[in-house]
Amino acid sequence: MVARIPILKLYNCLLISIQWELDDQTAIQFQEDLLYKIHETGAKGVVIDLTSIDVIDSFIAKVLGDVISMSKLMGAKVVLTGIQPAVAITLVELGIHLQEVLTALDLEKGLETLQRELGEKAWRTNPM
Amino acid sequence: MKKANQIVEYVQANREQILKEWSEKLILMDQQRIVPVISEKVYINICNDYINLLITSSTNQQKNNESMISEFTQKIVQLGWTLGFIMDSLSEFGKIVFFPMADKTSEKEQVEFILDYDRWISPINVAVYNQYAETWQRTVSLQKIALQELSAPLIPIFDNITIMPLVGTIDTERAKSIMENLLLGVVRHRAAVVLIDITGVPVVDTMVAHHIIQASEAVRLVGAKCIIVGIRPEIAQTIVNLGINLTQVMTKNSLQKGIEAALEMTNRKVISTED
Repeated sequence: MVARIPILKLYNCLLISIQWELDDQTAIQFQEDLLYKIHETGAKGVVIDLTSIDVIDSFIAKVLGDVISMSKLMGAKVVLTGIQPAVAITLVELGIHLQEVLTALDLEKGLETLQRELGEKAWRTNPM
Repeated sequence: MKKANQIVEYVQANREQILKEWSEKLILMDQQRIVPVISEKVYINICNDYINLLITSSTNQQKNNESMISEFTQKIVQLGWTLGFIMDSLSEFGKIVFFPMADKTSEKEQVEFILDYDRWISPINVAVYNQYAETWQRTVSLQKIALQELSAPLIPIFDNITIMPLVGTIDTERAKSIMENLLLGVVRHRAAVVLIDITGVPVVDTMVAHHIIQASEAVRLVGAKCIIVGIRPEIAQTIVNLGINLTQVMTKNSLQKGIEAALEMTNRKVISTED
């Protein structure tokens, strides 16, 4: 049984908070779930919060990068938030720069970034 | 060890003579090495101290020897004498004491005498060397800590804007601590923009540039923006001549421009008040 990561919908955005270290299976499952959810809800923005993650290996980093590109293909902007300093150092040392990926300090700032990126409309409560 | 007492007695009896001879020799030796900046009196003092040390440590119990030795070595270290010079001068002292004493004895007695003499003086000299090395090591480690403290300060100057001034050469170890401090500071101060000021970095080569690029990448991943400020003309030249690609990183020539840009990025600006 693979543990699934909950994906929450907030207006036209999706919120994902990853609370524990991902293993490979969970990561793949997460990729599928998220893309399906984007398709289902037609979300315009995605925030992935990594505050609780202290370690990231190259595979997880690759999956994250892939998820971000895939979401972009499906028309959703992704913001990574709360990357820990240690994780950032590891990523840079592994040569994974996640170029073109939006980042923010925490969830709050991440949502602000998304709002800016998507234009003012994003936060209206009107139905999508 | 009965000879030891004999030696001490001899040293005590001929103290003035030995002191004079030895300090003269030291001064001569030192003049060959460096410009003589130390007055002759200092040599005589040190020699005197050493002889005192010898006499007390061979007559006294072991107890207060160590503190005396450490006091003595601290004096030497402060004078900036090298270990080599000290070793030479101590062996010189041995010769001065030894030859006149062993002068009129037979060869067999001389060998015995050498052994005894060595047994007597070695522990003290070894203790001096050890203390010397220890004192140096302590100094070096203290300096290392001080350097680390100075190496990468992070200063918040406005809301969401912090600045890290870098002064001095950046090596791999320092780059690591810079990166760690930078990222932790960004998270702690919840900074949106970080300025890295490299005005005080004398040389920017490929390695330093690589570290700076890495740092700015990491800052971006954590969710802040990074501006490199203080690019001097010669640094710009080296960067381009070395073919380093700094295009992903925002750069400004002065801290002032950097602060202006940072304020702009956080939707603020400096205006002059009207009178």
